[in-house]
Amino acid sequence: MPSRSAALVGYGRGVTSEDAAADAALLADLRGVLGDRARDNDFERGLYSRDGSIEGSPPAIVCLPDSAAEVAEIVRVCRRHSRPFLARGSGTGLAGGAVPVGRPVVVATSKMDRIVEIDTANRIAWVEPGVLNLDLSRALAPQGFHFAPDPSSQQVCSIGGNIANNSGGPHCLAYGVTTAHIAALEVVLPSGDTTVLGGVEAEPAGLDLRGLFVGSEGTMGIATKAAVRLTSNAPAVRTLLLDFDDVSEGSAAVSAIIAAGLVPSALEMMDQRAIEIVEAFAHAGYPTGAAAVLLVELDGLPGGVEAGVEIVREVAQKHHVGHVRVAADDAERALLWKGRKNAFGAVARIKPDYYLHDTVVPRSKLTEVLEKVYRIADAYGLIAVNVFHAGDGNLHPILAFDRREPGVDERVKAAGRDIVAASIEAGGVLSGEHGIGLEKRDYMGMLFSTHDMYTQDVVRETFDPDGLANPLKIIPTGSRCSDSFHQHVPEGAWV
Amino acid sequence: MSAVRPVGERSGTASTFPLQLDIDSDTLASCVACGMCLPHCPTYRVTGEESASPRGRIALMRDVAERGEADAAFVEFMDACIQCRGCETACPAGVRYGHMMETTREALASQTSYQPRLRRLAYRALGMPRLLGFGSRLLGLSQRLGLMRLVSLLGRVRPFRQLGAMTASLPRVPVRQAPLTASGDDVWLFTGCVMDAWMRDTHRAVQSVIEATGAGVALPPAGAACCGSLHLHAGLASDTRRLARKVMAALPGEAPILIDSAGCGATMKEYGHLLGTEEARQFAGRVQDVHEWLAARVDELPEGAPTSAPLQIAVQDPCHLRHVQQAHLPVRRVLSRFFDVVELDDDGLCCGAGGAYSQQHPEVAGAVRERKAAAVERTGASVVASANPGCTLHLQAVGLDVRHPLEIVAEHLNGGAPQ
Repeated sequence: MPSRSAALVGYGRGVTSEDAAADAALLADLRGVLGDRARDNDFERGLYSRDGSIEGSPPAIVCLPDSAAEVAEIVRVCRRHSRPFLARGSGTGLAGGAVPVGRPVVVATSKMDRIVEIDTANRIAWVEPGVLNLDLSRALAPQGFHFAPDPSSQQVCSIGGNIANNSGGPHCLAYGVTTAHIAALEVVLPSGDTTVLGGVEAEPAGLDLRGLFVGSEGTMGIATKAAVRLTSNAPAVRTLLLDFDDVSEGSAAVSAIIAAGLVPSALEMMDQRAIEIVEAFAHAGYPTGAAAVLLVELDGLPGGVEAGVEIVREVAQKHHVGHVRVAADDAERALLWKGRKNAFGAVARIKPDYYLHDTVVPRSKLTEVLEKVYRIADAYGLIAVNVFHAGDGNLHPILAFDRREPGVDERVKAAGRDIVAASIEAGGVLSGEHGIGLEKRDYMGMLFSTHDMYTQDVVRETFDPDGLANPLKIIPTGSRCSDSFHQHVPEGAWV
Repeated sequence: MSAVRPVGERSGTASTFPLQLDIDSDTLASCVACGMCLPHCPTYRVTGEESASPRGRIALMRDVAERGEADAAFVEFMDACIQCRGCETACPAGVRYGHMMETTREALASQTSYQPRLRRLAYRALGMPRLLGFGSRLLGLSQRLGLMRLVSLLGRVRPFRQLGAMTASLPRVPVRQAPLTASGDDVWLFTGCVMDAWMRDTHRAVQSVIEATGAGVALPPAGAACCGSLHLHAGLASDTRRLARKVMAALPGEAPILIDSAGCGATMKEYGHLLGTEEARQFAGRVQDVHEWLAARVDELPEGAPTSAPLQIAVQDPCHLRHVQQAHLPVRRVLSRFFDVVELDDDGLCCGAGGAYSQQHPEVAGAVRERKAAAVERTGASVVASANPGCTLHLQAVGLDVRHPLEIVAEHLNGGAPQ
């Protein structure tokens, strides 16, 4: 694991004069497209060397396009120079999907942040990829709509990033993840051609290539415009906070609520450490003494919601709930969610770095896997914080650490691997919503056979025969013959 | 957003120079790079560039602190920050970005030519009320005699370009202002530098509202000339400390010190941190934004003139009131006693004024202001209340009807007649 400063300034090491000459020629062509929005200074390359995850290595050049036409030109220039390229939204990804590998060109879509058209009659909005998730929902609010996927980072994450990772969020329990909310995509293919996948009509003809593209983490091209589906705001919403003295009672209550016939719009869980750090930031009145809390949200028609509140209350009481707090108004609801949605960053109150996993296990195995997570963290001398989408069994164990401690990086990686193994052993999967990226790529073999991975790679190669679109991500090295960039992989990247 | 860049053309070949950045490693490590600050950063909002974000700037500080050297690009990236500290409110990890940026600016100002001599002298003049008053009258007179057109012509000549740009965006400055008169010693009303020279009528209105509660107002002697806020933002912290000592000496006793400029209040509340003495900490404890003091006494204010329907007022929170002092709610408590308070929907995003920032970075400041003006427009309110002179002037320049909250209250108490 390189130190941060090495990630920022270490680019000069191991770069040959041939590489430098190639970079200079590439830069000249990209400047021809973008002017001074193609950058190669050390500082900015350093800033685009990381996303929200823990790894990093600088790109050769950072591009800041302002239009789909510019993105297509960048891709064509990269093809001419046989240089990999990589799309980046807000840089909040947690699996290294936007971490440069192979000295690529980073294509940051943050300047492409226009909401092009809102069509409430057809419940569609066309947006550029740099539009922030929460900005979109706020823009839709006056018409009574929102964009349903709401990752915890929704105030900052971009629609383009949501598409790349097929992102989820607390309310995806009832509403489904990003792919259910994308009708059509304008994409620049790795060939440099622009096309539209899917369509805004009810049943688009042909294969669902849109579905293939969503979640492909930039390995099949770059989305330059998306037709997102609009979800109407529910007439009634109730948010409950339940606290438990025992984590296993809390997780049993999760299964019981769903078994009682309810599908809450959100059903989140936090353990004691998470409650403490979240309360320190949000001052929302989270009970810092409790072993676990559940944040339950119900929405729909007023009568149904009130009946749901009573069912949750009854179920919780059977599981020895401490208190049932029902948020009195929108302000109190917002405060509770503010706490939940800032939990990851708030981990810095314990340690300056965190490594976050994103596995999914069957709801019935939550208690068992959570206990294993604590045991694994203890065994490696690390602190585990749990805050997650309990309703769909999507665990987010956070390992808090300080990378300045010698040897801690090996322990963090080993613990992460053990947590993934424990989740898969319990019948779970590798990733719920953060993507595979760089960090989970080498765990793919735990879940998929060589044949499975080869098949996935064939599909990807159909889109990107030259392996230039975000290479060396998702599929482990060696699965495809076109993985020829490993000679450029910087020291410390996980290859 | 495409047209706006945090700084001008940059190259990667700039020569480096040594820079000692004394920010300790724990502080630098306190940012986990989660990115939650990005949408709350005005310069990131209008540029979409990582280098114009708090997360990016902290990464750059960390890099420079470890290497012990910087280059011109680093200086430009740091200088592009408005220091609104909206990122601190948004930060789940409680990173003290403002102090990190102040330390960085101080290192730049003391170790490099970051603050040129002429600008240092201009900052120094803020602490000299007679010079400032004379200069302001001269400016006001020049504006009325059309002499400013000459200055703007002069600004076309390269050496005076910056002067030309600065004077072009200056507000109309009064030539003559009636003095304020003290009415007792219950509270001090701090009057400051530029605000007293250019906007004394705001002080007059604020004083009348304080007096309407039955309190007597003491006015500071000449020693309390300037709080040193602009100096602190420019990296001239030693000037701020010097001014702070003078202000503290000029305002003795136990009486609360009331501030009607959010920027000044934020700095004066930090005198304890800045000077590190018990005396400074005690002094800082007496400092209150005038709305904080009034919010506790809002029922003691008279009813004022009866109106058919309460006036709708959009509240624009100065960053140093909302993000630094966390004293934005008292403004609403005072205003809502008389008016219908309307909220903006931008989470308290900066307006782009930033003390001297709008003079030094007009393009970015203008783009940030456009977002604010759009947020005001969405409220439908025609009057905007803003408790900081810098924000007021910056927003008035695009035709918004912006007034200090207590000017609006004073006018209401006065039966609708302007003060």
